[in-house]
Formats: sequence, structure tokens, C-alpha cells
Amino acid sequence: MIGFILRRLIAAIPTLIAVLTVVFLIVRVIPGDPALVILGDQATPEAIAALHTRLGLDRPLWEQYFAFLGRSLSGDFGTSLVTNRAIVSEVAAVLPHTLDLTGASMVIGVVIGVPLGIWAALHRNRAIDIAARLLSLVGLSFPVFVSGVFLLLAFALHWKVFPVIGNARLDDFPDRIHKLILPAITLGLVMSAYVTRVTRSAMLGVLAEDFIRTARAKGIPWRRVVWKHGLRNALIPVVTVVGLYVGILIGNSVLTEIVFNRPGLGKIIVGALNQRDYTMLQGLMVIYCFLIVVVNLITDLTYGLIDPRVKA
Amino acid sequence: MRLKAALLAAVVAFAPAMMAPAMAQPKTALSVGIAAQDIGRLDPHFAVTTIDRVVVAWMFNGLVRFKPGSINPAEIEADLAERWESSADGKTWTFHLRRGVKFHGDFGEVTADDVVFSLKKAAQPSTSAFSADFRAFETVEAVDPYTVRIVLKENVPSLLGLVTNYSGGFIISKKAYEARGDSFVRSPIGSGPFAFGSVTPNQSLELVAHEGYFRGAPQIKKISYRFIPSDASRDLAYQNGELDLNYGRADQTWVNRTRQVPNTVVDVFEPGELATISFNTLQKPFDDIRVRQAVSLAINRPELVRWRGQDVSREGQSLVPRGYLGFTADNGLLPNDVNRAKALLAEAGFPNGLTIKMIHTQLPEMLSAIQVVQAQLRRAGITLDLQVVEHATFHQQIRQDLSPMVYYAAARFPVADIYLTQFWHSRSAVKVGAAPVTNFSHCNVADAEIDAARVETDKEKQLALWATAQRKLIENACGVPLIETLLVFARRSNLDYGYELKGSMSLGPLITEQTRFR
Repeated sequence: MIGFILRRLIAAIPTLIAVLTVVFLIVRVIPGDPALVILGDQATPEAIAALHTRLGLDRPLWEQYFAFLGRSLSGDFGTSLVTNRAIVSEVAAVLPHTLDLTGASMVIGVVIGVPLGIWAALHRNRAIDIAARLLSLVGLSFPVFVSGVFLLLAFALHWKVFPVIGNARLDDFPDRIHKLILPAITLGLVMSAYVTRVTRSAMLGVLAEDFIRTARAKGIPWRRVVWKHGLRNALIPVVTVVGLYVGILIGNSVLTEIVFNRPGLGKIIVGALNQRDYTMLQGLMVIYCFLIVVVNLITDLTYGLIDPRVKA
Repeated sequence: MRLKAALLAAVVAFAPAMMAPAMAQPKTALSVGIAAQDIGRLDPHFAVTTIDRVVVAWMFNGLVRFKPGSINPAEIEADLAERWESSADGKTWTFHLRRGVKFHGDFGEVTADDVVFSLKKAAQPSTSAFSADFRAFETVEAVDPYTVRIVLKENVPSLLGLVTNYSGGFIISKKAYEARGDSFVRSPIGSGPFAFGSVTPNQSLELVAHEGYFRGAPQIKKISYRFIPSDASRDLAYQNGELDLNYGRADQTWVNRTRQVPNTVVDVFEPGELATISFNTLQKPFDDIRVRQAVSLAINRPELVRWRGQDVSREGQSLVPRGYLGFTADNGLLPNDVNRAKALLAEAGFPNGLTIKMIHTQLPEMLSAIQVVQAQLRRAGITLDLQVVEHATFHQQIRQDLSPMVYYAAARFPVADIYLTQFWHSRSAVKVGAAPVTNFSHCNVADAEIDAARVETDKEKQLALWATAQRKLIENACGVPLIETLLVFARRSNLDYGYELKGSMSLGPLITEQTRFR
């Protein structure tokens, strides 16, 4: 098992380097100059040139690339071009918020989505099934910035149970949970919509298999057939979707973060892109890519737990 | 008896609650919401964005300052310098510093050394975004610990404007800058009423009162400056009482809606940001003045004001914003006349109208404005083919002369010279000028007047030169003014700035030692 994890992590290094290279090039190819962003619209060419020198942006591209690669591999991502703050500490400050939100949304998504999907599959084309499909359609079609604002209007302004500004203090656990609830519900509901749909269709597929009929013919109770023979087999695609979705959530919760005024990785990525903060973007992408690798690894390990045929 | 006891108990129980309002201390913590993702650079000489400008003005002083609440250069008053004098030719200025002014923390007294260091730093391209403003500076020297002398190479329209609490004029602690080096932008030291406390990336900047402030200890003790990019969330947070002061959108609907919030005052104040369209006079079709005039005639300014809002905007009248020293309203600006526009186009060889490609930003407030202009031009048979790009891309591409027509909105130091030089002097022409800034028209018709006015010492003659420059630019249709948009903030009605807010060069309300909750 440990050998497997190590092998997977080592195999991720080429991916990381490829991502680093692509990000390094893309941020420099797109138009827009960080010096112009920093100096503002009255900047003179001499001021821009002076800042380029100071930021090292006047050096040849390959020189910048190798310097960056060398530093990154030793774990030093440098400082933000714009704010001059260390990238690692910027990320460390927001990562717990991102992980909180991702984790909580995943739990909500799975806890609601899986049972609802199973229930719908077992009552195919009956009222429950139609209601579940309709609900998940609503969940999928409601953008976060609409559902989020509705939740804020109801729970923050009307009932005053939660604050609008959701910047939780990390060292204060109750505060952290308190400010997590609304954003986690917002994202979790969307995720549950996906999970419901996948669980339902996977479950329907499995229940139509021959071995289910055989199991029933052998006289195994229906409940046991569903849970042991049906669900176990249906869970593989569900885990895949959850794994993919968690990967997306880590970097793409930006709308939720903005609506609920939470700090997070997504918000920093968008900000760095707007400001053409090259170093920050590069650092963020490496960290993001690493997190995706870890999530994928966990997904793969989960497959093995669900289905012994998938050997690690 | 039992009833009496119960009543007594009730009175005893409620007495503290009933007395509390009478004894309650006014709030001393101020929470401000600003529309931005994160703070940029807290080194005042790099504070170019609204979010940075607003807050550095609370932390730093200049040698002189705009009277709080005013942006009138005639009302500039003493700040770190208690008095000053200039030589007869206007080229040598001597500033006498106030004694005993303390920097934040233990960085000691503000001395001539700090002033000289700050102004030299502000004048250097590698350490300041405002170095170009100091082009006329010959020397800055400390005569003694409390006297600073500035010698100019040539006259400038407003020397006081360069050493005021704005842009490059902020004075920083030399000792702190040298000790902190690159980290100064994260933890700056000034002498203003509020000192840097801490910053949480993407969340907030915390400031604390500078108890040793030379005008007296601030009545507000803590400021939480919160970065909330979503307008909807910021407004909800304000409505929910989580913010006391909120950055507003210059939009009539927003103003009307916010005025309905209980205990709220909406402040609308100067400087107005003038939006203009520049035509690239070197490229087809705008090398023909008739096409430029046709576009000018197709613009309907009253309609633009109705669209943005009567309370927050007004018609542009010149290629210099209203109220700036040297501004003139009567420049022969063409009124809206669609038929004349069509006739001119036909005369210029476009009887069936024409299509103009234009690069524009996706920034919502700017995009919606150009869409209104687009609809207006369509009435005259001009199709505006908008190439919408991301904001940083927009700024780079218009500076590479890639857009024949450029929409730009800006406020500058309120003296005509700055606006005229940066936008309409050929030296500032993008790509090809000697010192390119934002002249997208490549016009040079008013170069002589702009240059002469800059060094003219006779105030009457100077005003006349600026007036001629504006008339020439409008007559040559180098560009066309659209609307001026004012700044808008909402605050709790019990928040008293301590002055009347009519304008603020820092683009947000100045929080002074006298600002308090009533």
C-alpha cells in the first residue's frame, strides 16, 4: 500500500513539471503586463522598465523559467509580484478555509445524494423518482451566486442566524463551523444534485444485471440484495464523480467564496490572474495540481476498498 | 406585597438595561467595505488603485494637505510643514516642518531627512509609480532637521500639489523603509492618524489609532477595512449592520435603493471621473476630421447622464474635467445632431454609414457605458464593432495603438495641466511619444499652449492658454467628452467625518482624528 502511494506520488512529478511549464508559458503569452497593473495607468515607459528590472521580468524567458523551476522543486515559490507577500504563507492562510468548504460540501453532497439516488432508482418512474430528478435538476441549474444570495437574504438578513461576512477565525472552532454552514449548503446542494443523478443511473444499471436476479432467485432478502450486491457495485461511478467534483471544488469555489466573503484558493487564483501576478499564479497552480494528484490518489484507493477486484 | 416585590425585582433586573443607553459609549471601531479582492501595495508611492489610495490617506501625511473634504487646490493647508515660502521666480521652495510629529511605532520624529528621502524615492522610477510627476525637481535637500528646500528646473503649475497628501507627496519613515526593505509594502510606517495593524490576504486590513498623532489621538480606535468584491454581498453586509461605511456604485438605482436603508446617508463627492473617447487621428477613418465630428455629433450626453443617474453623473463639457484649475466650459463642443452626423459621414465618403472596430474592457461599469454609446452611434449609421477583452489586456492593447477609438475614464490632480499633458500632448502619445502615457489620439494641436501654460507664472495668462488648448482640441475633434461620474459611499448617519465631505483626492472618505460615531 505505502509502496503504491509512493509510486503514484513519484509518477506525479512529470505531471507537475508539465503543469509548471504550461502555466509559466501561458501567463506570459496572454497580453497584459504586471508592471502596468502595479504602476497604474499613468505609468511612464521608464517606470515600467525599472519595475521589470526589479521584478526580474527583463531577463530572458529561459533564464526566468529555469530559475523558477529550480526554486519550485525546492519548495520555494517566491513572493507575489503585486503584494510582495510570500506565496506559501498566502496559500497557507486560505487553504484551511478551502479544505473546510470542500470537505463539508462533499459530505453534504454524499449524505443527501447517495440515499436520494438509491431511493429514486428503487422507485423508478414513480413520484419519488420524478421528484428526486426534478430536485437535482433545480440543484444543477441554480447558479451559486443566486442560491447563495437567497440563503443570505433569508438566514443573515431576515432571521439573523448567520453573518454576511464569512471570514472565519481559524483558531476559533465554533466560529469556523458557524461561518461554514451556509456556503457548504450552497455548494453541497449542487454536488448532491450530481451525486443523486449518478447514483440513480448506476443503481438502475446494476439492478438490471443477471447476478441481482440470481441473488433474488436464491431467496436473499431484497434489502440485502440492494445494499450488498447492488450498492457496492454501483458506488464505483459515484466515487469517480465525487473525486472529480472535489478536485473541481478546490479551485472553483470562487463564486461561493465571493458571495459569502470567504477567503479561499479559487478567489486568490482569479485575483492573481486579473493582476497578472505571474509568480503567484505559478505557485498557486503547482499547489492546486498537487492537491488534484492527492485527491485522485484517494479516489483510486477508495476503489480498492469498495471493489476488491480493483487491486492497488 | 408579593406584587410589589415582583415589581421591585423587575425594576432591579431591568435597571441596568434601561440605563445602558444613557451610559453607552459611542462605538470606536469602524468597519469599512470596499469593492476589491485584496489590498495591493501599502507603500503610498505605489498606491495607484482606489482600494490602496483610500487607505494610505489614513496612514500618511504630506508636507501640506487638501483641506479635509475638499479637492480645491486653493484650499491646500499645512500638514507636516507648518509654513512655507517660495522665491520670487517660483523655483525655490522652503518648507518649515512642525516639531514633535511622531511616526507610528517607535520610529521617532518626522524630520527633514525623512521628507527628503520620501520625495527622492517618489521621484525615482524604480521606487515609485508617480516618478513622472517630479520631472521638474532639480534638488531636494535638508537645510536643517526641520527645514526642507526644493529647487525646481522649471516652473510647475502647482508645486504644493506635488507635496500634498496625494500620490507621490506622502512622507514615509526613512528608518522604517531602510530597515524593512522590500517588506515595507506589507507593513508601512507613516505619521497619519491610523497605523498599520495587520492584513489577512483576501479578507481585511486592520488599522489601529496612532495615539501620538500630532493633531490629537483619533476618536476612532480601530478600522477594519474589508475587501468584498461582490456588490450584492457588500450591500447585504451593510444592510445587516456588519459595515459602517460602504463603497457604492455610481448608479442611480443603487443610490435610490441605499437611501431607503434606515439610518443611512449616501455621500456623492468629487473628483468626477471624466469619460472621453479619443480618435486615432493618424489612422483611417479618423484621419478625416469629418468622421471624428460625425461621431461627436452622434453622442448624446444628456441621455448618458439619464442612464447613469442625475445624482451621480453630469455631462462632460471639455476634455478636462469640471472644477479643475483651468477648466473652461465654452469650447464649441458639438451638440447631439444625428442628421448632421449622417451628412458629414456622406460627405466623407460613407453615405451608407461605417463600421468601426474598437477594443474595450469587460469591466462591467465601462462595458455598459460603451454599449450606450454604441446604441447612440447606431442612430447615425455608425456600427461599433466591440472587441471585448479582459481589463489588463485592454490596458496593454490600447497602449499599442490597436484600437482606432479608445474609451477612457480618469480623474487626475485637479489642475488642467496634468490632464492636458497626459491625454492630449503629443509627448504622451502612446507607442510613439517621447514619454508615452495616455494620448491615444496622437493629437498635437495644443502642444504649444499646454507647454507654455505649464511654466507661465502670470495666472491670468496661464488660464487663457489652458482655455485656448481646450478649444483647439475640441475644434479639431481630437476626442469627445462623454460624462463625469462622481464617487459614492454610503455610511451610517451617526458616523460623523468631522468635516463636510465634498471631495477627496484619495477617492474615499478621509478618516481623520476627528471622525467619530455620535
